[in-house]
Amino acid sequence: MTDTAAPAAKSGPRISGAFHRLLAFSGLIALVVAFSLASPNFMQTQNILAILQATSVNGVLAIAATLVIITGGIDLSLGTLMTFCAVLAGVILTYLGLPLPLGVIGAILAGAASGLISGTVVAKLKVPPFIATLGMMLILKGLSLVISGTRPIYFNDTPGFNQIALGSVVGQIIPAVPVPNGVLVLFAVALIASFVLSKTALGRYTFALGSNEEAVRLSGVNVDRWKIGVYALAGGIVGVAGVLIASRLNSAQPALGQGYELDAIAAVVIGGTSLSGGRGTVLGTLIGALIISVLANGLRILSVAQEWQTVVTGCIIILAVYADILRRRTL
Amino acid sequence: MLNRRTLLGAFSALAMLAASNGPAFAQDNYDIALISKGFQHQFWQAVKAGADKAAAEFGVKVTFEGPESETQVDRQMDMLAAALSRKPSAIGFAALDSQAAIPLLQQAKDAGIPIIAFDSGVDSDIPLTTATTDNVAASALAADKMAELIGGEGKVAVVAHSQTSRTGIDRVDGFVNRIKEAYPKIELVTVQYGDGDQLASTEITKSILLANPDLKGIFGTNEGSAIGVANGKQELGSNIVVIGFDSGAAQKGMITSGVMNGAITQNPVGIGYETVKAAIDALKGETLPKVIDTGFYYYDATNINDPKIAAVLYD
Amino acid sequence: MAGHSGSASVAGAPALVEMTDIDKSFPGVRALAKAQFQLLPGEVHALMGENGAGKSTLMKILSGVYTRDAGTVLLDGQPVEITSPRQAQDLGVGIIHQELALMRDLTAAQNIFIGREPRRFGILDEGQLNRDTAAIFASMNLKLEPTVKVETLTIAKQQMVEIAKALSYRSRVLIMDEPTAALNDAEIAELFTIINRLKAEGVGVVYISHKMDEIKRISDRVTVMRDGEYVGTVPAADTPIETIISMMVGRTLTNEALVIPNTADAPVALEVKNLNRGREIRDVSFSVKKGEILGFAGLMGAGRTEVARAIFGADRRESGEIWVHGKRVGIASPKDAVEAGIGYLSEDRKHFGLATGLDVRNNIALASLDRFTGVGGVLDEAKMEKEAVGYIKQLAIKTPSDTQEARLLSGGNQQKVVIAKWLLRDCDILIFDEPTRGIDVGAKSEIYKLLNALAAEGKAIIVISSELPEVLRLSHRIAVMCEGRLTGMLPGGASQEEIMRLATQRQSSVAEVRHAS
Repeated sequence: MTDTAAPAAKSGPRISGAFHRLLAFSGLIALVVAFSLASPNFMQTQNILAILQATSVNGVLAIAATLVIITGGIDLSLGTLMTFCAVLAGVILTYLGLPLPLGVIGAILAGAASGLISGTVVAKLKVPPFIATLGMMLILKGLSLVISGTRPIYFNDTPGFNQIALGSVVGQIIPAVPVPNGVLVLFAVALIASFVLSKTALGRYTFALGSNEEAVRLSGVNVDRWKIGVYALAGGIVGVAGVLIASRLNSAQPALGQGYELDAIAAVVIGGTSLSGGRGTVLGTLIGALIISVLANGLRILSVAQEWQTVVTGCIIILAVYADILRRRTL
Repeated sequence: MLNRRTLLGAFSALAMLAASNGPAFAQDNYDIALISKGFQHQFWQAVKAGADKAAAEFGVKVTFEGPESETQVDRQMDMLAAALSRKPSAIGFAALDSQAAIPLLQQAKDAGIPIIAFDSGVDSDIPLTTATTDNVAASALAADKMAELIGGEGKVAVVAHSQTSRTGIDRVDGFVNRIKEAYPKIELVTVQYGDGDQLASTEITKSILLANPDLKGIFGTNEGSAIGVANGKQELGSNIVVIGFDSGAAQKGMITSGVMNGAITQNPVGIGYETVKAAIDALKGETLPKVIDTGFYYYDATNINDPKIAAVLYD
Repeated sequence: MAGHSGSASVAGAPALVEMTDIDKSFPGVRALAKAQFQLLPGEVHALMGENGAGKSTLMKILSGVYTRDAGTVLLDGQPVEITSPRQAQDLGVGIIHQELALMRDLTAAQNIFIGREPRRFGILDEGQLNRDTAAIFASMNLKLEPTVKVETLTIAKQQMVEIAKALSYRSRVLIMDEPTAALNDAEIAELFTIINRLKAEGVGVVYISHKMDEIKRISDRVTVMRDGEYVGTVPAADTPIETIISMMVGRTLTNEALVIPNTADAPVALEVKNLNRGREIRDVSFSVKKGEILGFAGLMGAGRTEVARAIFGADRRESGEIWVHGKRVGIASPKDAVEAGIGYLSEDRKHFGLATGLDVRNNIALASLDRFTGVGGVLDEAKMEKEAVGYIKQLAIKTPSDTQEARLLSGGNQQKVVIAKWLLRDCDILIFDEPTRGIDVGAKSEIYKLLNALAAEGKAIIVISSELPEVLRLSHRIAVMCEGRLTGMLPGGASQEEIMRLATQRQSSVAEVRHAS
């Protein structure tokens, strides 16, 4: 009658959060090791830098998505908002000929303002986030075409602009590893977002809102204000992504952007953030974004046919999230 | 732990895929990476077919990749960067944006990797040559055929696939300018953009037709646009003249059945073939012309089965 | 600790359920250790113990929700492996969960037969479904349309639907977890009639409850658990309540008498004038003094919670004034109420009280984060920890640390965390809505002491409770409501009969018609 099917008594110590993240990290390491063994061209400085460069825009977007998703919301306007911010930077710098810092600040402020509007529609008008940001996605897509005059805007008149993503401050100091500035921007955004989430009242309310919004409201907290704050912060971060992509392409492409929010959300869920809110980390999201780029890059290095690359990426997304679910269930 | 195990499992599966993909290590061959503007679209698959044909003929290895949509300029950059890391013998590149790729192309040039542009050019002298269709001339031919079919007067419209890409701009300009210069009695009422999406182009077509009941004809600037226009015409039971661009099974069927009056075809198989051939010539140190014109043709129900035409059409 | 051995009433016949030496551990927690339980056919067997004693875990093992780590389960003397709720149902074990597990948008009938809908030619047969359901309702003497949507039913009626669902499986073992938590007296009587009928048919009923009087009324035997272990089984009729309680808490509780302090001269802390909100709140006025506990009694739906939520700004009020410490305050949202020093402890902690995913520290600080915020919005974690640990000590909150997730605490300790939240926020007017719902006896008396101590410190306290003994035990004055009106204000120590008279004092039907039009 003593069955073997029943699990053995588990009385070991609770596994700490740090170890938890380490497990998520091991997936990334496994991919890197596997690709390195499969191709000598993978573990090359230039290729690693290419992977980081490819992660920078999606990573920044995914960090913005993480904030909103932890509140239990979603932001579908990330991709087209990024484009809008990029185009706005183009209008400021190329069409109006204003100095470079104004273009960067303008893009970030435009992102924050858009987040403010999304947040207000969600919090005050009680429109579900999915719908509110779907609407914003289309509004911004249209506005990008309107303010750009439907043409790509080039930054040829602003010489330093493409240095924001493509230049390398690190490379000037250590010429052997010319880490592009865009990657530094990604890490800076990650550090700031991580700090806000773990150390500030805004961050604490971000988790609290996703955990139990009604309890927070009944604690006398001005729920609407904090929620709008989270969307605005996420919008500002998207503004940074807009500057990065414009700088990388040395142009603002008004038609680009739609669909990028899904890659960002994929990175967020691979990183272990719950779509139902209340749980998530920036580090996890960063790892998720890296897994996506390593996978894409590695499969290309191995010359895997493109149709199969897509299949494998889809499988990995499901596997990664399933592994995360299994881990949580057994802990 | 499970994470690692599953990922390794997935990896070994994909390593097998990679191994079965081509005779990568079979002989000391040229490895040519083609980065295209698209992938799923029949046109790009035809370019790929041409490239594969050349690969088989000359015994070289060719890979072919492109972003999901023709707006994803940065994704194309990532593909180009990954291709560079692979250290191929040569690269074929169809730029989505004429400037964005220049730093990466410079990197390739510095590494001694020859670049062949195809389909549309780059604002740079790094590519040794460009294998392409003269889109302006091709669309002007479409304008001539349109004028002929509607009797030289009346209203026409354009449903185009892109406001930003070179081909989109050239095809619209080629058509519009030809109409303005040569056919004063023809009025161009509007140019609308459906991003090459069939459904979006259908809706656009219907709204144009409803707004202009006396419209005589519409030009669709690529496969998706043209099919959308023809669908819109059918849904409203209109009998306007439709001229398309490119081929594909659906478009060919529509031309045979008469829903579409005719279309301009490029020679996508030729583009792919010429690109690979040019790359091999470059690797062998031969001089290349600045532009390789891969040609275009007008086809309709009467000549769709001519061997010369059938050879450049694709399904 | 098997001192009190139960006497099997039917000699020879195999027990319906025999669970022995059941072990179950969750990460870091040993939920059950050598637990045992026996259920005879035709028996109502009460399972008692403080929250966290392991009652629910044991019953979840029996009903297939959890798998045991060790031990044996016999059904009719045969060893069984129950690995899923579905299998438990097939074996005739039905459970009615404390938290109702109904799909709100489906009808009663659709809920009852979910997953085994009758079909004809592969198409759902709604007619048959509703006829089957009507038959079950009839057997329960329950007047309910099978086609009614569950979301339109009261909690009590939803409970009845749950019971009907369990009966539809022809369960021989029926587990009821706190079935009367949301029922009024008439509904409880109805439930007991049904239980007695089932009993006569030979069904064994496991009855989990904290309410002593009910246990006495309905059950044959009582099994007590403590800290995941079996304490003993005693006959319900011959065992004094004090004995059962001391088995549960491991010590003897003295029933402290109500102390009514002299608050005659104390200043009024909160005054509510002519509060109105539709038919739920009709012209309610009252005041609470500093140091006073004002009890709110009434039947379910009398409007007590609505009054509390309107004062707190959680719901909009149509008219009425709220005065705090002699000043009129405009309260339009919970934020305004909290700023005026009013704290509200909801009856539904999981939905409205706790951010269950956050840890104890952050839940305590949730209403006062601005106080821990420094330059650039950075939180002073050290200061938060100090305050949280202080309250954990002061309120004797049982938690391994202040960084434990709040959802892992027992009900009583969760309630204390919410109290700590309001104390930290300096709220001196506290509204407790059903403060001991789902909290076990030992913890209840602790909460009572805490409320008395808070009043003694000068807090003004409102306690809404559906348990009359609780209202009488705590309140210095008792407000009674019926159908949205305040029907009377009684002094502490009033009789239960007096309260019930006021709680059922309906307006004449003429007035009702006038209101409705």
